[in-house]
Amino acid sequence: MSIGLPIAAAAPVIPKFGHASECVVANHQFCGSWFVDNFSSRFLPPLLVHIELTAIAVGVGLPISFAAALLARHYHWFETGFSLFAAFLYTWPALAFFVIMVQITGINRFTAEIALVSYTLLILFRNILTGLQGVPPDAVEAARAMGYTQRQTLLRVELPLALPPIVAGIRIATVTIISVATVAAYIGAGGLGSLIFDAIGTGFKTEFIGAGGLAVLLALAADGLLVGLQRAMTPWARRSIAR
Amino acid sequence: MTGSGHSSTCAEIAFADATKQYEGRSQLAVDHLRFAIPPGEICVLIGPSGCGKTTALKMVNRLIAITSGDITIDGQSIQGLEVTQLRRRIGYVFQQIGLFPHMTVQDNIGTVPRLLGWPKQRIRERAGELLELVGLDPATDLRRYPGEFSGGQQQRIGVARAMAVDPPIMLMDEPFGAIDPITRDRLQDDFLRLHREVRKTIIFVTHDIDEAIKMGDRIAIMRDGRLLQLGTADEILARPVDEFVADFVGADRGLKRLRVRTLKDIELEPAGPGDADDRLSVPITSTLRDVLSLMLSEGRGSLPVYEQDPAHPVGIVRLETITATLSPGSKVLSA
Repeated sequence: MSIGLPIAAAAPVIPKFGHASECVVANHQFCGSWFVDNFSSRFLPPLLVHIELTAIAVGVGLPISFAAALLARHYHWFETGFSLFAAFLYTWPALAFFVIMVQITGINRFTAEIALVSYTLLILFRNILTGLQGVPPDAVEAARAMGYTQRQTLLRVELPLALPPIVAGIRIATVTIISVATVAAYIGAGGLGSLIFDAIGTGFKTEFIGAGGLAVLLALAADGLLVGLQRAMTPWARRSIAR
Repeated sequence: MTGSGHSSTCAEIAFADATKQYEGRSQLAVDHLRFAIPPGEICVLIGPSGCGKTTALKMVNRLIAITSGDITIDGQSIQGLEVTQLRRRIGYVFQQIGLFPHMTVQDNIGTVPRLLGWPKQRIRERAGELLELVGLDPATDLRRYPGEFSGGQQQRIGVARAMAVDPPIMLMDEPFGAIDPITRDRLQDDFLRLHREVRKTIIFVTHDIDEAIKMGDRIAIMRDGRLLQLGTADEILARPVDEFVADFVGADRGLKRLRVRTLKDIELEPAGPGDADDRLSVPITSTLRDVLSLMLSEGRGSLPVYEQDPAHPVGIVRLETITATLSPGSKVLSA
C-alpha cells in the first residue's frame, strides 16, 4: 500500500476562492464570514454525505443486531458467539480496519459502510438484547395468557417495552458513527472527513474547525432528535407514580 | 349483561386424570387430577407451596402443557382447540397482574377485543362499562397508564381486562395475594358481588385458608399434586379427611366454621314479647362467629334475633345451639 497520511504543509496554503478576506489571508482560527459564504458550496454537500453514511450504517446495523438479539434469546451459544464477533470488530482501530477492508472490497463508499456497520453491531446488539431481557415477565405472561401469538407478543408488548434501552443504543451508535465516519473519508467515503483531511493538507484552520464543528453539531442534533423520538414513543414512562 | 354477542353463559370444567410431569423429575407435579367444576361455581384450589395448584390452573389455558389425561370445557377437550383461540375465551388474573405498562387502561382492557377484531367504538364502550363495574371512573381513568394506579386499583383493572370479552371461564392465580389486607378484603367483597351479577366458572388459587373459605363455593385441597379433599368450606372444616387437611385448615377450624354459617342456618327458639332488646338484638344475617363474640363480650347465654326491626325479634339464639352446630354429629351445610 502506498497510501500515506497527507502531512500538513509547513506554511499555510491559502485556497484561492475568489477574493480572500484579511482573516483568511492571515489564516486566523476561524473566519466566520468565509464559512458562511462557502457553507452551501463547500460544507453542505459533505455534511449531507455524512448524514447519509451514518444513516445507512445505523439503518443496516439495526436489523442485523435485532435479528442477532432474537437468536441470542433462544440460543445461549449464539449470544456468546455474536458478542465475541461484534467485540472483535469493535476493538479494531478505525483506521487500520478501513485500510484492511480496502484490500478486500476496494476504495469506495461500500467499503466504508461495511466498516461503519461493523462498529454499530456491538452497541446495538447489547442494548437490544438487554432491552428484550428487561421486559417484565408478567407482561409477557399476560400476553400469552390472553392469546397473543409469539409474533404479536414481540411486536406489541416486548418491543415497545424494550424501546428505552434500544433507543439508548441507537443514540450511542449514531454518535459513535458520526465521529468514526470522519476517518472513513480516508478511503474515499466522502463526508465531513474529506474536509478535515483537506484542511490537514492545506493547514487552513477555518475549514478544519468548520468541518469538525459541523460533525459535533450533527452528533448533538442527532442525539437530541432521538431523545425527542423516544419521549414521543414512550409516553407512559413519564406518567408513572412512584410506589 | 352486555350485548357482546359472546357466550355469556358459564361453562363446566372437568379434569379427567389430568397429569403433569416436568422433564427430569420423577415426582408428578399434578397427579391424575379428576374432578369437575359445575358452571358458575367458584372452585378454590389450595394447598402448601409446590402442591401443584398453580400448575393445575395453568394447565386449563395451556400455559403449562398436559403430560397425560385431559381437561374438558363443556365436554370439549382443550387439546382440540387452537391454543390462542382457547386462551382468548378464558379470563386470566394473576398475582403479578401483568398490565401492559405502555398501554392506557382502555387499551389494556381492549387487548382481547382487539385480537377478536371488535370495532374501536365498541371496545371503548366495553372498557368504560367494565371499569365502572370494578369501581373505577371511566371518565378519568380510561386514558391513564397502569403506572399511575395503586396496586389494588391495578388489580381491579386486571380483573376488568380478564372479563373484557365476557369469557365463560376465569382463572385466578392468587389474584389478591400481593395486596394489603384491608384492600384485599374489599377486593374480595367486590369480586363476590361481581360474581353474583356476572356468573362465571372460576378456578381460584390461593394459599390462604381464610380467603378460600370466603371465596370458594367449593374448596379443593391439594398436596403433592394430588387432590386430597373436595367440598364446601363447611364440609371440609367439619370433616377433614385426614390429619394433613385438619392441620392445614387450622386448629381453629371450629371458629372458622362459625364464620361460614349465619343465624339463618340454625334453628332459633321462639321469641316472646318480653325478649325484645334494641341494644342486643342481632340481625338474622349475622355469622355465628359474630353472635358468639357478642355473647362472650356481653356475658349473655342468649340473644334476640330480628329480621327487619330490632324491636320485633323473630327468635332467640342460645349459646348451646351454637356449640351444638359444631358437634361431630351435626349436619353439614351444602352449598
